[in-house]
Amino acid sequence: MAKHKTTVYLNRGDAVKAGLGNILKWILMLYFAFYTLFPLIWLIISSFKTNTELFGDPFALPAVWQIQNYVNALKVSGLIKMMGNSIFVGVVSTALNVVCASMLAYCISRFRFKGRETIFTFFAAGILVPLNALMVPYYVIISKIGLYNTRMGLILLYSAIGIPMSTFIIRGLMDSLSREIEEAAYIDGCGFFGRYFRIILPLSQNGLVTAATFQFLTCWNEFVFANLLTSSQNVRTIQLGIRYFTNQFSTDFVSMYAAIVISIVPSILGYMIFQKQIVSGLTSGAVKG
Amino acid sequence: MKPTKQDRLGMILFMTPALVLFVLFFILPVAYVLIVSLFKWNGMTAATFVGFKNYATIWKDSVFRRSVINNILWALVAACVQVPLSVLMALILNRKPRGWKFFRTVYFFPQVISGVALAMLWSAMYNSEYGLINGILRAVGRADLAINWLGTLNTALPALLIYWVFYIGYYMVIVMSDLAGVDRDFYEAAEIDGASKLQQAWFISLPMIKSSVLTCMTLAAVLGLRQFEQVYLLTNGGPANRTSTMVLYLYKQIQNTRYGLANAASVMLICVGVIVILGIRALFKIRHKPGD
Repeated sequence: MAKHKTTVYLNRGDAVKAGLGNILKWILMLYFAFYTLFPLIWLIISSFKTNTELFGDPFALPAVWQIQNYVNALKVSGLIKMMGNSIFVGVVSTALNVVCASMLAYCISRFRFKGRETIFTFFAAGILVPLNALMVPYYVIISKIGLYNTRMGLILLYSAIGIPMSTFIIRGLMDSLSREIEEAAYIDGCGFFGRYFRIILPLSQNGLVTAATFQFLTCWNEFVFANLLTSSQNVRTIQLGIRYFTNQFSTDFVSMYAAIVISIVPSILGYMIFQKQIVSGLTSGAVKG
Repeated sequence: MKPTKQDRLGMILFMTPALVLFVLFFILPVAYVLIVSLFKWNGMTAATFVGFKNYATIWKDSVFRRSVINNILWALVAACVQVPLSVLMALILNRKPRGWKFFRTVYFFPQVISGVALAMLWSAMYNSEYGLINGILRAVGRADLAINWLGTLNTALPALLIYWVFYIGYYMVIVMSDLAGVDRDFYEAAEIDGASKLQQAWFISLPMIKSSVLTCMTLAAVLGLRQFEQVYLLTNGGPANRTSTMVLYLYKQIQNTRYGLANAASVMLICVGVIVILGIRALFKIRHKPGD
């Protein structure tokens, strides 16, 4: 790398430059914040308007805040049932995913064995495979085991496709644990399972929570496979729900907006609570990939 | 640690579930896609072996070619516009200006909101009658510009790409977590030597975060190739297949029960993905090897 030496010139030109840089910095920061927030705020405000008001001035506030839109959204679309489905699918598949991934991560992190590198390579490739390309085989597999149009089918698929990512996240944490406690436990006669349940698992709690948060969020937001593998209202998840609102509320736009807001709120709330886990889940998975 | 007999037994027991799921949902499907792409099959009658004819068929289809071009465009815009913007904002927020935590949180919002909700939101934004964008245009007296953004040949694809490209939170956070690991001493030393903030960013930060930028570009390109939800929900490939993507193309083949063609498209998608990933890696090696 080239060596650079410059001298400080504390004159007016530099001060102006620094000032301009500062202004530019704030313009950029505010622009991106505005870009993200403004459509959301517009959506929330619009969801309280009447349909007539919606076609009027886009900046006007609603004359009367229409709570009724939210009542409509919840009543018409079966939204509550779908949220229940999403929570059920998300929780069960997350549990299944984290249990499987943590057991595998334990073996990979704590033991050296033949095939360990191969598992790595395959899992890293697994993270990068465009899963959407596998729609046909997923449809065939899930139908063949008789799980088409069931919540179990989604649960199985979601737990499986999250395995490489969760394994990487959990293994990352397990690798950072010192071997000494484990060796002491081993000398004291603690076996393979004892060390997993009593030592490694409690110590890798952070990794488990990160993987679980990330997995749950992915399930909650997943659309493509839910769309592909279900066909009836009973088993649909929330994301399909908002997709089909478009048909149900063909002219009642404001109720549709209310429904979209309802579906976003849990994601935002969950993000606020688990911000650290979600961010570290996304970044640690990315860096390994 | 040397595995004992119990360890070996335990390992088999512990690794089996995850590996079975992996084989069932990663390895088997990829093999399936490769094999079925060589058959003509509608899902009902027996499949007939046709060799590479499916590939020839989709390649002759102008919609598929358009989809490949769109996907590559999407990957390029993501890797070459979205990622640099993210790096820029990461460098800015890394200086911890006032309220940086708030900004970081906000930028990350689109990452936790579902793709469907975002698509519906932007479908509302772009709506020609009651959408916000045309609302603003009318409010400033330019009603003549208020067109149907997603339904017009020339604006549909840019409209899809543009709203996506400014959602920088994901890559920004990845780069920031890498920047946090850069030793502060470097900056202090540079400061003493009189380097400006800009010079510090260019000569210290950027070289140190090279690998995470590479990661981000790879991810951005891969996600660009996977594009489906946004297009499916906002335009369904229209107008006149102008915005189609490879995944949308294969989805439509599934709907028409042309499974052979769908799987040929899948294989092409996987191949393009591999090429793009290797391409980005090679690019970084060539550009940075000397001097390292």
